[in-house]
Amino acid sequence: MDEKIPNSNVIETEIPLGTVHPAALEPYRLRLFVEDEIVREAEITIGVNHRGVERIMEGLPVEKANALTEKICGICSNSHIWNSCRTGELGLGIEVPERAQFIRVLMSELERLHSHFLYLAHGCEVLSHETFSMRVFYLRETVMELLSMVGGNRVQYGCSVLGGVRPRCDLDDNRIQRIIEGMDTIEAGLTDFVKRFTADNIIMSRITGIGVLPQKQALKLAVTGPSLRATGVPNDLRTRMSEYEPFDFNIITQPDGDVKSNLIVRALESFEAIKIVRQVIDQLPEGKVVNHDWEMVDTDITDSYIEVPRGTLYHSYAIENGKVRHCIIRTPSMANIGAMQYACIGDQVTDAQLAIVQCDPCFTCTDRAIEIIRR
Amino acid sequence: MTIDTIIFGILALIVTVIVCFIVSTFLPGIERKYVHARIQQRIGPPVTSPGIMAPIKFAFKDNIKPSSPVPGLFKALPVVCFIVVLVILIALTPQAFYIPALSSLIAIIGLLKVEEICYVLMGALSKSVMSVRMPFPDLVKGGVNLDVTRSFIEDISAKRSLRMITYGSFPLYLALFGPVAQSGSIFLEKIVEYQHIHGPYLFTVSGMIAAVVFFLGYMIVLNEYPFSFIKAKSDVIEGPYMEYAAKYRGIVFITRGFLMFTLAALFSLLFIGIPTNLFSWGIILNIIVALIFVLAMGIFSAFSPVFTNRQLLPVSVVASLLGVLAIALGVL
Repeated sequence: MDEKIPNSNVIETEIPLGTVHPAALEPYRLRLFVEDEIVREAEITIGVNHRGVERIMEGLPVEKANALTEKICGICSNSHIWNSCRTGELGLGIEVPERAQFIRVLMSELERLHSHFLYLAHGCEVLSHETFSMRVFYLRETVMELLSMVGGNRVQYGCSVLGGVRPRCDLDDNRIQRIIEGMDTIEAGLTDFVKRFTADNIIMSRITGIGVLPQKQALKLAVTGPSLRATGVPNDLRTRMSEYEPFDFNIITQPDGDVKSNLIVRALESFEAIKIVRQVIDQLPEGKVVNHDWEMVDTDITDSYIEVPRGTLYHSYAIENGKVRHCIIRTPSMANIGAMQYACIGDQVTDAQLAIVQCDPCFTCTDRAIEIIRR
Repeated sequence: MTIDTIIFGILALIVTVIVCFIVSTFLPGIERKYVHARIQQRIGPPVTSPGIMAPIKFAFKDNIKPSSPVPGLFKALPVVCFIVVLVILIALTPQAFYIPALSSLIAIIGLLKVEEICYVLMGALSKSVMSVRMPFPDLVKGGVNLDVTRSFIEDISAKRSLRMITYGSFPLYLALFGPVAQSGSIFLEKIVEYQHIHGPYLFTVSGMIAAVVFFLGYMIVLNEYPFSFIKAKSDVIEGPYMEYAAKYRGIVFITRGFLMFTLAALFSLLFIGIPTNLFSWGIILNIIVALIFVLAMGIFSAFSPVFTNRQLLPVSVVASLLGVLAIALGVL
């Protein structure tokens, strides 16, 4: 299949869902246009969760603005503060100590594990398979404890600061030992889960060939992250990030672009994340974790891109008199929202939420003020 | 028949029904606490919570005015369902054998159909705020397909309930006719008598196949995972029950537990030849069968995702074919 084309001529009925719906973790409006129970077209509307973080950041001191970005998302909070600090560091020319870079990568990969596990658990929940959902949540709990140990909190860690990471996030022998043990536990649990999940014929019949997003359409819609890789495109920004140069890992792809491919991509990426965490621990250099040797100066608008659990995250701002100006943030879910509308076409109404969930939506991230420039 | 016998019979019937009702209130709790929660390695709710404490709590809650075009009928439907289950249970007692029109399989199937039709009506009469009534500016400039008919999500439930009547619950009714084929009568008294002479129907090849089909039908009629299509969380949420609150929701909870017990009692009568009678050891067998069904259903549902049309139709067809095979073997 090259492309899915909505067929507006023969639609019988509209079924609106939300903005409040138990299967959706966050508020959004979904209009499904159906014949019998087959979805022919879909429209997703966001906007009920907009908080205007960029607008609040305007005029704040850089350090405060960076801390505020962590509030954009409860799942990839560390990614936002990391990228925001990275933007400032690129603009101000701050050199980040190697040990701090390693700790940032460690936090990022732990966050990837926690995000992917949340995705797998939520996917099982939408399938109404509560047992598998609970089991993945138990696995995720180990990751949350590790994040809490390093960052001090389960969700808002405040790990990155301009010039490195906070000294309280430094790794001592006790923390390293707990991380090693945690990775062993997670790897064993995840292996067991993946074996059982893929061997379950009933589950496979629910997810195979459902919510297909053709590769050509994914590229046209500028889909990013695991959702793009699940269509067979080996595109991972981590391979081009200097922070990830010391580490060896594989780009995971799957060929079909359906729910099954998306779930498997994230499960296999979790194994790669475990691999990276182990390499971080093995190669962790000695030295300081934050560089204070820099001066605040005015900068032009600076861009920074990093690969977060859901795809490519973009932050940009300029600095004037130590304050943030012209802030723009583009989250990966925003790029993937078009994919959600197409993924559910051709499937049953029951599978529509599943097709949306397969794109790993995060509507607190997505609800940003955007200007569409048609070219 | 003397007056004393009639009075004693009526009292025995009332006491039997009350005891069965009390036992039935524990069944949803046993399923959730001792099966689902144990499999999912969590503590689970107190065993009395889903079947007893929750309905009591709901009974004292303030009711909401349901958003329904016919609120009177809508509110009456859970009561109708409860009465239907009550009448089925009464039909399974030895006292009901004196009223052949009631204690026949045709009457029981008719009553079960009323139960199923209630779900269609509940879905069709419910207009919750979760879909069309949500105050959201859909029909504005830029929106697609602005002139299309808009449907409530409960309408999907109503259509699915119709589908379940058409083919979903078919296996259960075929399984019920297995004992009829063997005994040659639709009257419960005759079926029981036949089994007292020839041994339980369950221990025949036909009976074993029909028991498997009955169990599938039991899960389908109870709308349990994986057959909870009419109240799938991912789209229709609670489906037909969405607008029920306070005491009406309490009645829905109670009816579900009561139906669990009643269907198990129906199985005991048709497949083992034991009617529901408090004053015989048979009542213990009824309770054991109810517990076995609940445990088996809990295990099966804990490891299954919800079926959609794609899975439901083949499962229903295969189960129906097995039911036909059981009847054919019973006739032979």
